[in-house]
Amino acid sequence: MPTLPLIEKYRATSFEEIKGQNTAIQEITAFLKTFPMKKALILNGPVGIGKTCMAISLAKEFNLELFELNASDLRNRSKLDEVLKPATAQKSLFKKGKLILMDEADGITSSDRGGLPELLVLIEKTKHPIIITANDIWQRKFNLLRKKCHLVNLKELRNEIVLEILIEVLEKEKIPDREINLQTINTIAKKSRGDIRAALNDLQTVLELGQEAYISEKIEREKQDTIFNALKIIFQNPTDKDTLSAYNNTKLDLNEILLWVEENIPLEYKGKALTKAYDSLSKADLFKGRIYRQQYWRFLVYQNFFLSAGISASTKLKNKTFISYKKPTRILKIWLSNQKNAKKKSIIAKYAKLTHMSKKKANKESFLFPLILNHKNTHEKLDLDEKEQKWLKDKKEAMIEKYNLG
Amino acid sequence: METSNPLNPEKPFSQEPLNNKNSEIWTERYRPKKFEELVGQDDIVKKVQNLTKALNIPHLLFAGPAGTGKSTLALIIVKELFGSTWKENYLELNASDERGIDVVRQKVKDFARTKALGNVPFKVIFLDEADALTKEAQQALRRTMENYTSTCRFVMSCNYSSKIIDPIQSRCAIFRFKLLEKKDIEKRLRLIVEKENLQISDQTIEALYESSEGDFRRVINLLQASASISPTITAELINTLTSTAKPAEVKIVLEYALSGDFLKAKEKLLDVMLKESVAGTDIIKAIQKEIWNLQIDDELKVRLTEKTGETEFRMTEGSDEFIQLESLLASFVLAGKGLR
Repeated sequence: MPTLPLIEKYRATSFEEIKGQNTAIQEITAFLKTFPMKKALILNGPVGIGKTCMAISLAKEFNLELFELNASDLRNRSKLDEVLKPATAQKSLFKKGKLILMDEADGITSSDRGGLPELLVLIEKTKHPIIITANDIWQRKFNLLRKKCHLVNLKELRNEIVLEILIEVLEKEKIPDREINLQTINTIAKKSRGDIRAALNDLQTVLELGQEAYISEKIEREKQDTIFNALKIIFQNPTDKDTLSAYNNTKLDLNEILLWVEENIPLEYKGKALTKAYDSLSKADLFKGRIYRQQYWRFLVYQNFFLSAGISASTKLKNKTFISYKKPTRILKIWLSNQKNAKKKSIIAKYAKLTHMSKKKANKESFLFPLILNHKNTHEKLDLDEKEQKWLKDKKEAMIEKYNLG
Repeated sequence: METSNPLNPEKPFSQEPLNNKNSEIWTERYRPKKFEELVGQDDIVKKVQNLTKALNIPHLLFAGPAGTGKSTLALIIVKELFGSTWKENYLELNASDERGIDVVRQKVKDFARTKALGNVPFKVIFLDEADALTKEAQQALRRTMENYTSTCRFVMSCNYSSKIIDPIQSRCAIFRFKLLEKKDIEKRLRLIVEKENLQISDQTIEALYESSEGDFRRVINLLQASASISPTITAELINTLTSTAKPAEVKIVLEYALSGDFLKAKEKLLDVMLKESVAGTDIIKAIQKEIWNLQIDDELKVRLTEKTGETEFRMTEGSDEFIQLESLLASFVLAGKGLR
């Protein structure tokens, strides 16, 4: 058994070993050759696709010393001085120059210690090329940073490439075929969604613990597959084959998902696509209603279809801009409003009982309650408590003021 | 003219003075207590009165608009039948408030299990807003009705008899209540005005009639609300009060949508619905009316109205009114695109 984790053992250290990112490699090479036209370059993309590897390899290819910075180093004077010193003054002994790597920039806050302003200053003054890696550079706080840097967007690795890497590792590890079957490898590759780090970690689990253990481990990982990912697949990848099963990993029930989708449709779509998306959502709700009313659960298929593929088909365009999805707020608003209207509701219930009508109908008359129920006798008759009486009194005063009555 | 109670001849009916100060809610104080007091439904009253006199009513189905006297007639019937013991022999259920048919059935069973008190061999269950029951629930109710026929008579009310399944309709004597005419409303209204020492002009009566759309409950509530401010009832005050009930803000919602600001339209819509707890069905009615007042092309109005109709249909079939309304707003956003 290998003592070094696979992910370290087989970390790519040269451009040749990095797979599926050829365009990015060209861009990053061009950046270095034209330095200091642009002083920094951002590698933006999902986790585990080789951003850090790319920086390491770049340093190696160009014989540069890799100098890693993290968020807190940005306030560390002595470390920064080293960077800011004239390049000639501190040439390392054997290498030509330095390459600064600012890894995982998402962790930087805009105002706190070791924050963004320092990074911007660093870019201004640096004598060395800077590589910044990030998962999501489209957050508003990075607006200024983006302008100052050359931006390279990386996509997740294609499934075949993950598969190729996994098989290569298995060969190098000399694992016999019978110990791990192709189907498991396929599952690992597919589940990783282009995250080679996750794939290699999964492979390691399988090798060490056997395929059965992997399955339970897999379930754990799926839990972390959040609704955000699902929404991203639905909203931004209309061609993804996985749209139908996008919600499977979210561990949320369809009702919760419906609310998530509802909250975020307007953030994602405009114009005709907005109408189409809402039409699908409306149809999903239609089937939900039919399920509830008729207890015909096969309709669930259609509810899921309209909620996923239906909405996904609203547009053929792939949306590349980053959208920070929001938590559904409607339920909370309804709850808050119910708290606010609790007095009114309880009065309605009492009034409805006394006057032989439904609460629904009583609600329609409730706009007149402050004027018609504000008598001591009526309070007694309706058995209103002090809070309810106060509500009526306050409302009456508000009404008289608002409509200039009395 | 006093009708005597057939079961209790010593106890004439209109014994309680009309001005019963115990109940300050006018809709209750002035709720007709005798057949003769009910206005605008003369034919129905006559027939029902005869049935009641014979001490044997069939199952009854009252169909008609709100505030025309359906519940009131049911109450008169039971008071007439049972006299002072009416409360023990009468169960009022509201289909739109009871959460499931099981609740209804359980309550019906518990109530019908014991024998009626007095001379009348049955009890009476008033099932208000029976059209709020689903078809399935109505089917279930049909069996219950049959099983307890000997001990229990049903009086059901609904706005539209078409929403009641045929098997139930065929078991009931159906009475269709008319929308109250102005003269009927005026007659009873003047009586109340006199008792309460109010001043009212013909023009104000007209305003009350107009804003109530024939719903007498609304007329009385508006009258009482106005009277709480001034004994002189003015048309202006009536109009101010009714305007507070209308979801006028629906127009603002639509304007946001037409101008392309979907998020604002959505937010405002939720706000309107929550603040006054307006039901989605009322919002869609307001939208449908508002479309014709919008400053847009007629053809567009037709298209949007069609979409509104489809949305209203989906609201009755779906589970979440708000989602359906949002979907409609998205159509308004798209329609507004050509206008900008």
